[in-house]
Amino acid sequence: MKKTIYTITDMHCANCAMHLESLEDILPGVRAIEASYHTGRMSIEYDETCLSEAEILAAIQKKGYTALQA
Amino acid sequence: MQPYLLAFITGLTTGGLSCLAVQGGLLASSLERQLESDLAARAGKKGRTSTRAAFPIFLFLAAKVVAYTLLGFLLGALGAVFQLNTLTRAILLIAIGIFMVGNALRMMNIHPIFRYFVIEPPRFITRYIRKQARTGTEYLAPLFLGALTVLIPCGVTQAMMAVALASGSALQGGMLMFAFTLGTSPVFFVVAYLTTELGARLEGWFMRFVAVVILILGFVSIDSGATLMGFPYSFNNLTQLALHRDTPALEPSAPASAQAATELTLEARNNGYFPDRLVARAGVPVTLNVVTDNTQSCSRGFVIPDLNVETVLPATGTVPIQIPPQKAGAQIFFSCSMGMYTGVITFQ
Repeated sequence: MKKTIYTITDMHCANCAMHLESLEDILPGVRAIEASYHTGRMSIEYDETCLSEAEILAAIQKKGYTALQA
Repeated sequence: MQPYLLAFITGLTTGGLSCLAVQGGLLASSLERQLESDLAARAGKKGRTSTRAAFPIFLFLAAKVVAYTLLGFLLGALGAVFQLNTLTRAILLIAIGIFMVGNALRMMNIHPIFRYFVIEPPRFITRYIRKQARTGTEYLAPLFLGALTVLIPCGVTQAMMAVALASGSALQGGMLMFAFTLGTSPVFFVVAYLTTELGARLEGWFMRFVAVVILILGFVSIDSGATLMGFPYSFNNLTQLALHRDTPALEPSAPASAQAATELTLEARNNGYFPDRLVARAGVPVTLNVVTDNTQSCSRGFVIPDLNVETVLPATGTVPIQIPPQKAGAQIFFSCSMGMYTGVITFQ
């Protein structure tokens, strides 16, 4: 298991955090995602044998957000 | 049937606008979230989306009607215990004002610290909602905020609450408040819907506009709370003094001029109190006669914070208020129960 934290630069509201957390339902090998509008951060705990960092970044971008490694 | 029809018409005519002035901020706050999530969806290139503003407005108003109907039931059944006193309402207005200003600054992206003015629901709730329905949270805010309006009734609503209270029956109280709040809804809906449709076209620019409106409403709310507390340095009270610094206290045509010393007459009209600056004799008891003549606005809720006077004036009539002897130079501020219309009595 690997845990990565991203800074999401363009969250508009608390709803955005929920949009990002819904990646939990889409991406394979994800144990937990916690996104916070307050801190502008998203942490993801995942199995690196099932999922790559590039895939995570692409999925975040597809949701309409920009992620930077914190 | 007649009292309910009357309550509905009162809501439809004066209640809607009066309530919109007081509670518009909460509605704007709830719609702001809807607009933001729509913008976010667009940013996500999910294709063309519309604001779907009608449904959240409907939810806001439905929650408001339900909340006020329940309040009517309680008032009818349990009496004055449930009336908020002036101080509580003042604190509430200030708290709501701070919340609104914070949210406006957040929307303007002034500093990330203002993000804390948005309440993030606990993780388990968002997870539950997400699993229940994709659109879940978009509708919780309007429902919640609609119900919250019950805590900031406008002057006309307060008058109606007094009627519900006087009915002495849970059913009648509930029905009265239901009819009245239903009557206020069309004005709310039309104004809010037109506003959000405009936003759908102008997108981000409109968000800035909403932020500025919320900011102004927030400051108005804080100032109203301060006025209601009798704070002499509130913007309302300072304006009151500044505007009249060089003018005589009573114009010759003012109704109270003939007997200014110990008996004053104050007219509570739909657009405020006239004259809004009175002079009374110091050191003796003074009677303030507050006169209404088919008055249907906020000004019917009359408050003198320093004297703990809080009364709902009849639509037409005269209410005498006894003021104990005051020192020369003393100033007593009065206002409507939402701190919007103001005036001052100076003792000489």
